[in-house]
Amino acid sequence: MTIPGSTGQDPLHGQGPDTSGEVVPASQGVPLIPDTTGTWHRVHPVSPLVRGWIALAAIAYFFGRDWFEAVFRGDEFWGLSGGRALWTVLIVVVVVLLLVAGFFLSWWYTRYQVTDDHVRVNSGVLFRQHRQARLDRVQAIDVIQPLLARIFGLAELKFEVADAGESAVRLAYLPLASAQELRATILARAAGLTSEPGHAQEPVPEAPEQQILAVPGSRIVGAALLSGTTVFLAIMLIAAGVSTFVFDAAFGPALLVPAAFGVAAGYWSTFSTGYNFRAAVSPDGIRLRYGLLETRAQTVPPGRVQAVEIMQSPLWRFKGWYRMRVNVAGYGVSTENSGARTTLLPVGTRQEVMQMLALVLPDPGTDDPFAVFTAGLDGIAATDQNDGGASDGGFVTSPRRVRWLSWLTWRRNGFAVTGTALLARSGRLWRSLAVVPHERTQSIALHQGPLGRRLRVADLRLHTTTGPVTPVVYQIDADTARRLFDEQAARAAAARRRSLPERWLEARPESTPEPSSGPEPEAAAGRPDGQYGPQQNGPPTEQESRHGGQH
Amino acid sequence: MPSEAIDPAGISWIRVSPKSITVELIGWLISSVIALAVLSAPLVLMLVGVWPGFPAWLAWLLSVGTLVICVWSGLLIPRQVRAIGYAERDEDLLIRRGLFFQRVMVVPYGRMQYVDVGVGPLQRAFGLCSVKLHTASPQTNASIPGVPAAEGARLREQLSDRGQARLAGL
Repeated sequence: MTIPGSTGQDPLHGQGPDTSGEVVPASQGVPLIPDTTGTWHRVHPVSPLVRGWIALAAIAYFFGRDWFEAVFRGDEFWGLSGGRALWTVLIVVVVVLLLVAGFFLSWWYTRYQVTDDHVRVNSGVLFRQHRQARLDRVQAIDVIQPLLARIFGLAELKFEVADAGESAVRLAYLPLASAQELRATILARAAGLTSEPGHAQEPVPEAPEQQILAVPGSRIVGAALLSGTTVFLAIMLIAAGVSTFVFDAAFGPALLVPAAFGVAAGYWSTFSTGYNFRAAVSPDGIRLRYGLLETRAQTVPPGRVQAVEIMQSPLWRFKGWYRMRVNVAGYGVSTENSGARTTLLPVGTRQEVMQMLALVLPDPGTDDPFAVFTAGLDGIAATDQNDGGASDGGFVTSPRRVRWLSWLTWRRNGFAVTGTALLARSGRLWRSLAVVPHERTQSIALHQGPLGRRLRVADLRLHTTTGPVTPVVYQIDADTARRLFDEQAARAAAARRRSLPERWLEARPESTPEPSSGPEPEAAAGRPDGQYGPQQNGPPTEQESRHGGQH
Repeated sequence: MPSEAIDPAGISWIRVSPKSITVELIGWLISSVIALAVLSAPLVLMLVGVWPGFPAWLAWLLSVGTLVICVWSGLLIPRQVRAIGYAERDEDLLIRRGLFFQRVMVVPYGRMQYVDVGVGPLQRAFGLCSVKLHTASPQTNASIPGVPAAEGARLREQLSDRGQARLAGL
């Protein structure tokens, strides 16, 4: 068995671009009918320049600075003195020509095609790489526009399958309209919609989307000011003050300059990645857009979110702000953009957190989701608990006997189980609530150390795909933990049998034990705004809320 | 057998081969000898007068400490190996291990991406192998060391078959 849908080199797919027939430039638009194996497309001709501009800029800087300084000082430029002038010019010209030739070759040998089932990308000049990814295994799809690409009106399309971000299929760069059209095509095929024979030439319409929330710029600034960077800054200032006035030894610039850069970079990354953050929902999934210089539009199809974490740092408590992060297979632990990619909501109010939760977990599986999730976010159990671990707003917390071990968090650590997900809350100062849908649980482990055995408590760890969220239920009563372990294994198995098909707009197979109670996907009206309100007319079923839209 | 406080009730564990204890002990012996040789070097050098400046208490502490830790871990090995167990259920595989730090893990068949069977040189000499299960989560550290080779092959086939039948997406 191998990881289904993994990309990688494809030795059997022998036909390289050299043997292939027709090549259609990207500017002619995206294929609306599935490509035949003979049809390949090239990315936009400017792409290598957009990707490799740094090399050109470096050359220009290197020669330009020397030349400029020489002119400024009135000296003769070292390169242009005597008979060396010709050689210098020649070398520069050759280097530039080589770069341009390299750019041209890399562009010429990069080709892609989108068939009914696969995306294929061939690239590389000396070391050829043939990569193909199954469409129905798409975990996420991004349209990225770095600053220079925005100037040219280009965009990169990044297609993730479940491989921890190692083997994304990337198409850089396409005209923005083409990239969006291709995204719509890929998502439609991944959803299980096939092009009808008669309408093959019509473009696949972009799935209609509805904006759920937009984070105002002022709040991003506030969030940055109340972040850990500020704490760091305050500590630095205090240390500098103490050192200057108490020990009479001022900090040298050797210390202050890097620190200032660090602080500025911290503020900048928070601001630039959270800037203009908008979240929308469409039948193709959740769409997140953000970015100041480099803009991104991320699409996470339904059922691809493996785990969610809602966090609150101590300073954010004054404003009632939360941050949400997700595990999506394929995103991995992205260091790119300082983790912005795995951020579902950079900073939001409780109301907005509930809205986003409604998108990620359309069916909360409880009658009163608002109360349960609020208890998970802010709740703390009463001090007078019995020994079995009390129930606080649906949460079972650590028993009283561990208060000597974790005196700060024992009333906070706990779990709650709804019909569709397990909620694990922890942390007193840095509050955290992890939500794992039952059908996304990979494996479960129960841990107990020597101290835990004395106190008859155990930790329950839920394993999920690589990402920022590691859901752990800390220090619950051993018997409760054992029961939860057993029940959770059974619940996960049951939820897996009920879960949506990979192609999310396809009808379920007849053989599923529990026939879908929801309406037909095509007939279902969009109900993406199933808010986690305090009063609700009953939770929407999974079918209804995920299959919205008239796709 | 240590107290099995966190094991699910009513599970009859399949234990790994007793020969695995011998394999682990040989491995332990080799690594202990190396560790002792390296960490006793200051003591030897000090005693023969090559490195007289080395603090005597530290040299003795290093050597004796290493010896105590090695003997202690060696004494634990038989019990640790006997603590490893697995059980096949209808929907999932249970794996347990550990004496002081116990762990019980459940891996659903439908979540397995692939099964590894690995054999080291020592294990091969004793006709053993290690079976490792991989899910989409890197945290699933589900390995069963010291399974008889035939049982390992059976387990691999069995797990693959069941995984195929119940394979779900991610």
